[in-house]
Amino acid sequence: MTGHDFSERDIHMALDGELPGDERAAYDAWLDANPEMKARSTRYVADRAALHAAFAGVLDEPVPARLQKIVFGETPARTARGRSRWWLAAAAAAVLAIGGVGGYVAGIDHLGLEDPANDEFAEQAIAAHVIYAAEKRYAVEVPASDKDHLQTWLSNRVGLKLVAPDLAAEGFQLVGGRLLPAGHGKAAMLLYEDDKGERISLFITAESAGKAKGTYGSEENGPEAIYWLDKGYACAVVGSLPRAQLTSVAKSAYSQLLAGLAG
Amino acid sequence: MDEKKAAILGEIPRLRRYARSLLRDRDSADDLVQDCLERALVRLDNWQTGESPRRWLFTIMHHLFIDQMRKVSRRGEAAMLPLEASEAQAAPAEQVAGIASREIIDALQAISPDRRAALVIVAIEGFSYAEAANILGVPAGTLMSRIARGREELRGLLEDTARRRSIRIVEK
Repeated sequence: MTGHDFSERDIHMALDGELPGDERAAYDAWLDANPEMKARSTRYVADRAALHAAFAGVLDEPVPARLQKIVFGETPARTARGRSRWWLAAAAAAVLAIGGVGGYVAGIDHLGLEDPANDEFAEQAIAAHVIYAAEKRYAVEVPASDKDHLQTWLSNRVGLKLVAPDLAAEGFQLVGGRLLPAGHGKAAMLLYEDDKGERISLFITAESAGKAKGTYGSEENGPEAIYWLDKGYACAVVGSLPRAQLTSVAKSAYSQLLAGLAG
Repeated sequence: MDEKKAAILGEIPRLRRYARSLLRDRDSADDLVQDCLERALVRLDNWQTGESPRRWLFTIMHHLFIDQMRKVSRRGEAAMLPLEASEAQAAPAEQVAGIASREIIDALQAISPDRRAALVIVAIEGFSYAEAANILGVPAGTLMSRIARGREELRGLLEDTARRRSIRIVEK
């Protein structure tokens, strides 16, 4: 008995949720009676799931700072190849092996290793810096005048024993800090300022994909991040300082953070 | 930050996913999203508040994509596109993806832009046929035939790949 004549078209409709609910039972019966159509449906179902899975990860990626900036009304510089040829672009980011695990601090003068897998963390840190370092009155949630509370609060929230590094020797004073989302967890952001009003920030999470270190800049003339990822934590120092100065600040911040984590 | 901008920010991950499925390469896809956001902000008044900006943004981005693809194909550059795309990007960008994902991503790039868009907007982005037809600016019947052709083509390409793989194994 066939109350309704189904066709291949209905396979697509069923797959895409467009088949009326009251036809579903008859459709299933039709599939059972037509092994060839049933096999086709099974393949399409698998392909649909594979398509979905292939791109699902994109939703979990942090939004690049340059895209956020547009919505905030800024027009960031384009990537080098210009606006009109994105469809021909075939950029393949170079994957370079990350050096040994030890000696991060010793090796920091030789940064320059890049690993696209860590871009996401660096981009989150840069995005946070771009948004909050530009704020005059609302840059931080807890000011430096309340430093003890700031450290305790962020430590509890992030799940790491955090000490706000003393960067006075580098010319930077703590402004304060805030709590931010990062990936599936939380991040602490510590903001510093020098006497000329130049700001840098530290971005720290308890989540880490692996062990790595590197530098990352999402665009020309934009802020740059120097980051370390290790088991159980990740830290980025972000600012628009000359590379040598940022490296020196990062080195000092990193060794103090590490000492704090251990203590 | 006003409500409209907050709502647009919230749609960026989905716009990026749609762009990635259309273009594959991450930077190119983000460039397309960037073009889309720039155009959207200029035309902010075209979007009525109270309504989700999703369909509005997808419509803008889809037209940018299709217009550019048409220009490219008129200039005869389209022929080189799948080749360039698959050869130059064979390596790192989708490094994390498994073989199955990589094969389907490759196959998707090889089907025509119109069919690719129709298929992903429904199968990945989850829009209904009515919404998708609206975004793509085509009648529902056209949308359905593009989806059906797109799926058939995709399946054929995947079977070719599987066949080639098994031949290679046999030859070893």
